[in-house]
Amino acid sequence: MILSTTVMRYILLPILLCMSWVIPARAQQHCSLNINILVVETHNAQPLYPVVVHVDELKATYETNEKGRVSIDSLCPGKYTFHFHAAGYEHYAEQVTISGSTELKFKLSHIEGHLDEVTIADEREQTLLQAKDKMDRQQITANSGKTLGDMLQAVNGVSVIANGATIAKPVIHGMHSNRIVMLNNGVRQEDQQWGGEHAPNIDPFLANNLEVIKGAASVKYGTDAIGGVVLVEPAPLRARPGTDAELNLAGLSNNRMGVASGVVNHNFKAIPALSFRVQGTYKKGGNYRIPGYWAANTGVEENNYSAAAAWRKQHFGTEIFYSRFNTDLGVYRGAHTGNEADKLAAVNSDTPLVPADFTYELKRPRQHVEHDLAKAKMYFDSKLGVWHATYAYQHNFRQEYDVQRVETDDAQLNLTLNTQTVNLNLEHRAFGELKGEVGVDGIFQENFIQPGDRVFLPNYRSKGAAAYLIERYKISNWTIEGGLRYDYRWYEAFNPEGSNQQVVRYEYSFKNLSGTLGATKRVSNNWQLSTILSNAWRAPQANELFSAGLHHGAARIELGNKNLEPERSYNLNIESKNQFGSKLSTELSLYTQYIQNYIYLEPGADVLTIRGYFKTFNYRQTDAHLTGADVSAMYRWNDQLKTNFKGSVLFARNTTAKDWLILMPADRLSLNTTYTKDISRKLQECYLGLDTRYVFNQWRIPSNFDVIDYPRPPAGYFLADVAVGTKLLAGSQPLYISLTVMNIFNQKYRDYLDAFRYFIDQPGTNVVLRLRVPITFNNSKNHNNEDIRIINSDHIH
Amino acid sequence: MKISGSLIATIFTSAVLFTACTKTPIENPEPVEQEVITTIRLVVTNSSGFNKTFNYKVLNDLNFVDEVVLAPSTEYDVEIKVLNESLTPTEDITEEVLAESNDHLFVLESNPATGAGAISFTDGSKDADGNPLNQKLKFTTGEAGNGVLTVTLKHEPTNKNAGTAGAAGGETDAEASFTVKLQ
Repeated sequence: MILSTTVMRYILLPILLCMSWVIPARAQQHCSLNINILVVETHNAQPLYPVVVHVDELKATYETNEKGRVSIDSLCPGKYTFHFHAAGYEHYAEQVTISGSTELKFKLSHIEGHLDEVTIADEREQTLLQAKDKMDRQQITANSGKTLGDMLQAVNGVSVIANGATIAKPVIHGMHSNRIVMLNNGVRQEDQQWGGEHAPNIDPFLANNLEVIKGAASVKYGTDAIGGVVLVEPAPLRARPGTDAELNLAGLSNNRMGVASGVVNHNFKAIPALSFRVQGTYKKGGNYRIPGYWAANTGVEENNYSAAAAWRKQHFGTEIFYSRFNTDLGVYRGAHTGNEADKLAAVNSDTPLVPADFTYELKRPRQHVEHDLAKAKMYFDSKLGVWHATYAYQHNFRQEYDVQRVETDDAQLNLTLNTQTVNLNLEHRAFGELKGEVGVDGIFQENFIQPGDRVFLPNYRSKGAAAYLIERYKISNWTIEGGLRYDYRWYEAFNPEGSNQQVVRYEYSFKNLSGTLGATKRVSNNWQLSTILSNAWRAPQANELFSAGLHHGAARIELGNKNLEPERSYNLNIESKNQFGSKLSTELSLYTQYIQNYIYLEPGADVLTIRGYFKTFNYRQTDAHLTGADVSAMYRWNDQLKTNFKGSVLFARNTTAKDWLILMPADRLSLNTTYTKDISRKLQECYLGLDTRYVFNQWRIPSNFDVIDYPRPPAGYFLADVAVGTKLLAGSQPLYISLTVMNIFNQKYRDYLDAFRYFIDQPGTNVVLRLRVPITFNNSKNHNNEDIRIINSDHIH
Repeated sequence: MKISGSLIATIFTSAVLFTACTKTPIENPEPVEQEVITTIRLVVTNSSGFNKTFNYKVLNDLNFVDEVVLAPSTEYDVEIKVLNESLTPTEDITEEVLAESNDHLFVLESNPATGAGAISFTDGSKDADGNPLNQKLKFTTGEAGNGVLTVTLKHEPTNKNAGTAGAAGGETDAEASFTVKLQ
């Protein structure tokens, strides 16, 4: 078809003219790239401030803020040369090709030999190439007042298993309790975590970062790391001379709770190698409010404190740390039912069976838990690399005060768990692009009750040793990781058996080989793809082997199985992180996990005791297969407005029974939008946020569900939170204030993984007022003139 | 500062040795089953000289239940006792129940409620606040026949005036089911 001049003149030409108007506009859009720069210290990843950043091609100079960050907007794609100047640090320059909006990290090294220079050796945990997510200090303090388990729900793929609002544990990809490992300041937390009603004894205010590794990670973390690992990482101790402090306050309306936490950091000007930190938190709340009622006896009181000191030189350093966690938790009075019929009566009641008013008083049933952690760590450089040696001692004391007929002051359970761990590891020097670590772990543990305690677990003693090797190799835009670990665990248990409670001694041991193989490819500046294949294992716990009686307060009898074998899991994770243009970034994580010898409770016959009928459950093993996906997307409408979407699904199967697995978290979606703006010189970083989420009804339940449990999993529910906050400058002192309203519609709902779903609803509306005051004392700044030196770096996310 | 390998070994070993020094009573756990009830005993008397006890006992996984045999259309005085017969001497828990009477309730149910084999309940004793406790009460038997008598001890019931264990709420401390023969 030949185009006539008429068509040309009146149709094509206008179109071409329009296009010529459109095309330059799009080219303009190309120069709207945004880069976020983070400048940190080479060894300890501490953000550096103030750092002067000069970009040759832009003929512009910027300065990093207190977080070590600076943003540059409206960039066109191309090559840029960045120069970094900071007092006490080597000059650094690097040329970077920018093709899309991205985040860049640059590392500066301390200059040796200067008075106020202290080169801090590597304190960062070198985490595995497994799928992971992080919550930074800002997110942690923005959620202050929440339990650690509840806070971690912000991470995609993590949900919560609870006994009411005050006792909550994280669930990673369907796994919880002793199928996940919690690392408290680098130490494997041992606090009776196998119990569903045993919340983690860790103060979230200790953390500068909460990192969640989602997937099998035994190769580095040993037994139990089947579902994943939660790393509670404090900030490195202060390196520059001077003092800084932070105060966090929160008031929560729902249970009239007050939270106060403070931390002080100091580094001595006269002894630059010496630094210390002291920190403390106090929390007190009363009964929490569900729509229409108060939940009887659900108050909480917590007081925690910690202290750390370090003496660090360039090639050698040592650190000691001590923390104490203390909590008293009320358990809803109506949750400790008698027999099966009593439980059904509670379930069938629309309203809470136990009436209550508001009070801070804690009555029975309640828990009292103390956790002490003492850690000593040393590092030193050698020709082979950096050596780390760590020793930690933990003392966990858990008391349960049951409802008694006759008033007494005693606790009916006084359970002690003392654990000592030793770790020696070498991060060997790089052999070309090959980096890695090799290490040995040792553990010694004792668990015992007091005479006169109720029948619970056998006393036991356990020893373990492990050796591991993890290597990482970088070639062009690939990173490949492989690891191997050998674990040995030995137990001796003393179990009172029979009507005369004769003590029988059992001895057993387990050996296991774990491994990991993964690869990450930086396909382009906008796309990172990872594949990880790893395996993990878990030794059966004492309760799974030896239980023989009424699970206190759960209205059921649990019978252990002495023939249980360790669980072994094989996990494949595929993760894709993408950046589309300058506005949209997405993360997709697919996982599938096959667990051999998965231990679970299978219903048996009903048993008639003098207290009436109880269901019995026997510990059995089966093969399980868990498959799921976590997807998240962030869209930046403009500099002020951004929206976050998250979704996660999980399909958990009992492959031997060809049926669904019981008690697995339902699918969920969340959508969050935040608008940020600086209003005036005094009111900065003001934000307004709306957070919504929907949790589906869990319909993936086994066909014999009605035999095991009643009622069916609750309906799906929708929740909305609104938050508003700002940074207020009182003179030169910044104050971060925020007001959050959680569950603004006072939605009445129950969650399948909350054991209180039988008895009461989840909490209603909660209005939270938070204040964060970072205090920097007038610390001196040194300015020196340095030579320019260009050094290689790697900028990884 | 040079760190020698032997220093490392010493620190490591002493840490491990330190772990071996423990003096804890791990080998001898002494748990005690708390608040054990083994027996619900009905002590039945009347003005005509009738005096019998009927036990519902669960001990060492064995059930011992006495059949309640009474005359029809007769009035009896009944006292309910709660015992722990796993100890020697037998522990009488009834005293504890009476001491905390406000927190306890005996719920008695007869099946059938009226007619042949039925028992009706009156004049139940009260707790310290004047609310029902029913530790002592009167049985009035119906016509000759068979029935079932259930005696439930409730702790912290939510409704002291309830006629059934379910409606009473609270926790069941003991549930005794007797077969009844009125002849």
